[in-house]
Amino acid sequence: MVRETNRHFKFDWITIFLFFLLVGFGWLNILSASHNGATINYLDFSQPFGKQLVFIFLTFGLIILLLAIDAKFYERFSSLIYIISMLSLVGLFIFGKNVNGATSWYAIGGMTLQPSEFAKAATALAVAKYISDLNTNINSFKDQLQTFLIIIIPALLVLLQNDTGSTIVYGAFFFVLYREGLPKYYLTIGLSIIILSVLSLKFGYIITSLIAIILIVVYHFLNKKKIRIYQSILISIAAIAISFGVKFFYQSILQPHQQDRISLWLRLEKDPQKLEKMKQTFAYNLNESEKAISSGGFSGKGFMEGTRTTGKFVPEQHTDYIFSTVGEEWGFLGSAFVVIVFVLLLLRILHLAELQKSQFSRVYGYGVASIIFIHFLVNIGMVMGLIPTIGIPLPLFSYGGSGLWAFTILIFIFIKLDSNRINEW
Amino acid sequence: MAVNEKGILNRLYFIAGCMFIFGIAVVFKLLSIQFLQGDKYRALATERVVKDVIIPANRGNVYSVNGNLLATSIPKYDIRIDALAPSLKTFEEYVKPLCDSLSKYSGKSSNKLEKEIRKARANKNRYYLLARNIGYSDYIRLRNFPLLKLGAFKGGLIVEQTTKREHPMGGIAQRSIGYERFDEKGNVTRAGIDGAFGVKYLRGVDGKRKKQQIGKGQWKPLSDANEVEPQDGYDVYTTIDVNIQDIAHHALLEQLEKYKADHGCVVVMETKTGEIRAISNLGRNKNGYYYERLNYAVGESHESGSTFKLMALAAAFEDKLVDTSDVVDTENGILSFYGKKVRDSKHGGYGKITVSKAFEISSNTGIVKAIDQAYRNQPEKFVDRLYEMNLNNDLNLPIIGEPKPIIPDPRIKNGRWSGIALQWMAYGYGVSFTPLQTLTFYNAVANDGVMVKPRFLKEVKEFDRIVEPFKEEVINKQICSKETISKLKQLLKNVVEKEYGTGHRLYSENFSMAGKTGTCQKDYRNKEKLNYISSFAGYFPAENPKYSCIVVIHEPDKSVGYYGADVSGPVFKKVAQKIFIDTPIVDEIETLNISETSIENEYQSFYETAQKYKTIMPNLVGIPAMDAVVLLENMQIDVKVKLQGNGVIKSQSVDKNTKLKSKQTVVLTAS
Repeated sequence: MVRETNRHFKFDWITIFLFFLLVGFGWLNILSASHNGATINYLDFSQPFGKQLVFIFLTFGLIILLLAIDAKFYERFSSLIYIISMLSLVGLFIFGKNVNGATSWYAIGGMTLQPSEFAKAATALAVAKYISDLNTNINSFKDQLQTFLIIIIPALLVLLQNDTGSTIVYGAFFFVLYREGLPKYYLTIGLSIIILSVLSLKFGYIITSLIAIILIVVYHFLNKKKIRIYQSILISIAAIAISFGVKFFYQSILQPHQQDRISLWLRLEKDPQKLEKMKQTFAYNLNESEKAISSGGFSGKGFMEGTRTTGKFVPEQHTDYIFSTVGEEWGFLGSAFVVIVFVLLLLRILHLAELQKSQFSRVYGYGVASIIFIHFLVNIGMVMGLIPTIGIPLPLFSYGGSGLWAFTILIFIFIKLDSNRINEW
Repeated sequence: MAVNEKGILNRLYFIAGCMFIFGIAVVFKLLSIQFLQGDKYRALATERVVKDVIIPANRGNVYSVNGNLLATSIPKYDIRIDALAPSLKTFEEYVKPLCDSLSKYSGKSSNKLEKEIRKARANKNRYYLLARNIGYSDYIRLRNFPLLKLGAFKGGLIVEQTTKREHPMGGIAQRSIGYERFDEKGNVTRAGIDGAFGVKYLRGVDGKRKKQQIGKGQWKPLSDANEVEPQDGYDVYTTIDVNIQDIAHHALLEQLEKYKADHGCVVVMETKTGEIRAISNLGRNKNGYYYERLNYAVGESHESGSTFKLMALAAAFEDKLVDTSDVVDTENGILSFYGKKVRDSKHGGYGKITVSKAFEISSNTGIVKAIDQAYRNQPEKFVDRLYEMNLNNDLNLPIIGEPKPIIPDPRIKNGRWSGIALQWMAYGYGVSFTPLQTLTFYNAVANDGVMVKPRFLKEVKEFDRIVEPFKEEVINKQICSKETISKLKQLLKNVVEKEYGTGHRLYSENFSMAGKTGTCQKDYRNKEKLNYISSFAGYFPAENPKYSCIVVIHEPDKSVGYYGADVSGPVFKKVAQKIFIDTPIVDEIETLNISETSIENEYQSFYETAQKYKTIMPNLVGIPAMDAVVLLENMQIDVKVKLQGNGVIKSQSVDKNTKLKSKQTVVLTAS
């Protein structure tokens, strides 16, 4: 692929276009979800749509700044950026402001900042830096451990701030490491644990253990020559331990509201009274959002015409449940459009990442794509009931300054890195 | 292990594949929600949007027989404020005046209130309580306070209406009027009339109205009419007479306080109809005050003691085994049966007396001996006779908690019968009745043998329409022969009338009463805890009974007294006396000629003085002060009057016949 050599136009305009497409469409939906029926004053900064407009305008300044900085800066100072970011997370324990049960905000003047949003970009930089180091060998256990540490520190910090959603995002780096050559058994083990856990919760640990053992035995006899008997026995024991342990984890370590979410998702709850209670709390959100989406039909009710959106039936609709607005007002076409744009954006970033000459840029690119993907997966999945309810915004779409800027930083650092790919380092 | 090119490519495809597959999954789920399950969700959406709203029916009132309100439901209001609802400007403008108004209303300091409301706003409290459980007039007042006046959206006013059951007569008969309470789980606790007739009459039927949700928390009615109209509960008119209830309550209270008794009850019943005119139950709380705590009259069964002698003799007379004139030997006041002793309260006994006298002086040995001689070999006959008089049945009252009477029966092996059961029953031990059960029997005697069921309800009304009238219910048309009844009546009358009768202390020349005292030992198995139940059951007037009444007082202070005649008798007398005084049995009062000459003369002279003196000071000495002031103030000249003392005028500051000036002050001194 021959690329424009003019310095000013060598940015990947496809990514930038998709970026603004999402931001713009997102704002229209925020407007629809948060206006209160009266005549709309777009500059009413007490309303979410007005504030978001300001955030979007500020984004332009941010983009110019990000693209103006020399590409080398990001690599060179990635460690410093990471450390500052971690300190800002630690600082929350002292200066943080509690909103909805999570201590994730700094209040500066009339504004609130959520450092955990920015920490994702910082971690992506740090991981990229560490893996791209010539001395790092991803196949050595020590280096794997080091890499995990870089990822686990911010994950743990946000978990301690009661922000479960953001913690899960750090799982995104698994894709990055996998691409960079993390041994396959991590994938096998990870997937096995997830499958075993879900099965165990849904069908009970005895059935799950039996299924696991049967599978292992079958596998053992099919691959008799490769696998020793003691390996199979060990794996079986581990599988049984996991099946049993999940129940303990679910009942003793998870908080009640987390248990409820999982039990609703897997339809474990049989007590009608408790179900009714769930229906009135978080299941209400899900129900309402599903209803809103379903009422949209094929082409939707039209912009600002959604009765369930303007009637404020769906709580938190302008933030985490913004996708239900799309569903109602723009219908299947609009929703599919959003999904396609997201998938295009992700594939475009992955494609660009693969084109990178420097390992740093490639790893970072994977980080960007993975983080956006996890957000997309968890948010859309939650809004449509595909996965348990976890509060996490839809990137570039949901209301919120910190989120928007964090993704802007994440994406535009990559665009800058990408623009530099043909240059000599 | 080096990762080769192909491996890398596979991994790339894996990751991109994950993302792509998820995208496809989302699209499929979208299709599923919007098309496959669309109908289901759309139905759900309308289901959630329309709901039945219950319109509670108003609970009926409880009235006394004379139409006074005993229990009614009135609306109460909780006033709260959504501290975030008013805009900052409005809030700042009105918060101070609001707190000033609130301060005037509640007496709390305005500054403190302001601080609290500001704090509520800072804490984003959208449900801050300003006043709880206030009445309608207070609610109207608060609603017009600054800020709150702006309403729910601009001012943040939140009003929650609840209904409270109130007893306008206060603590009087509270227990018998009762209540029906509901907790959050829907469990009901009931007491008294309000509880007993809640489901049947008072509650009414709740209405229903379909409402549609038009936004979060906002509902509008779907149609003009209610789907189900609420049907208010009926009003229940009880048989309670507030005046008699008041008399009974205070008479009992006074006596309980005097004797420092634990608890007691009074029931007044109309003889012919069985209507309960008064039912008072007072128990002492740990601070020594008396309240309507438990319905002792209905629910507390106890050994009767001497009041049961009437039942015992009724049986014996009816079986013609004993007669009033039979002579019994009370011996030395002590009888022994199997080593157990029956004693008389008089040391040394009464010698040989008639059965009639034994009853009147309440001789235990006398009655026991008579019954023992009559039934010793056939105790079943005695018990059967008691059964025939319906003494073994409960009254089947609507008020819950009535125990069945206890009568030992030699044929029933329940451990109650023994060799001395008959003898002990004769003077009221081993048998157990509630005060109301005992009263029902006494009332039957008063009613010439017709046993009527005690009733609490006169009628049930819906506004002025009678829904259900209640008539007397006869339990037993004739409990025993007329002959026996007249004997019993004579005995009961003698108890009060004869000088040696135990009830003679109650005797009054003005009106007649008949009754029986009872002094029953309680907890007699333990000498240290030995206590008494003092009772008096009877009716009045003795000749033509109109009301029957029972008074039972438990555990009077032994050092003050414990005999039935002393403790319970006075309550009975007071009730009887007051009913007689307060009830206009003879309505006609001769028109009195109140034309005393002195009054006539006084008025004449006042009138003359008033006509004569218009501007000149009259002689006021010797005139009542009030008249003097009136005279001066009605003069044509405006004079100021100062009065010192009261009574008759002794001196006046302006001499008589002096011309008065305008605005002149006249000082009158009275004795």
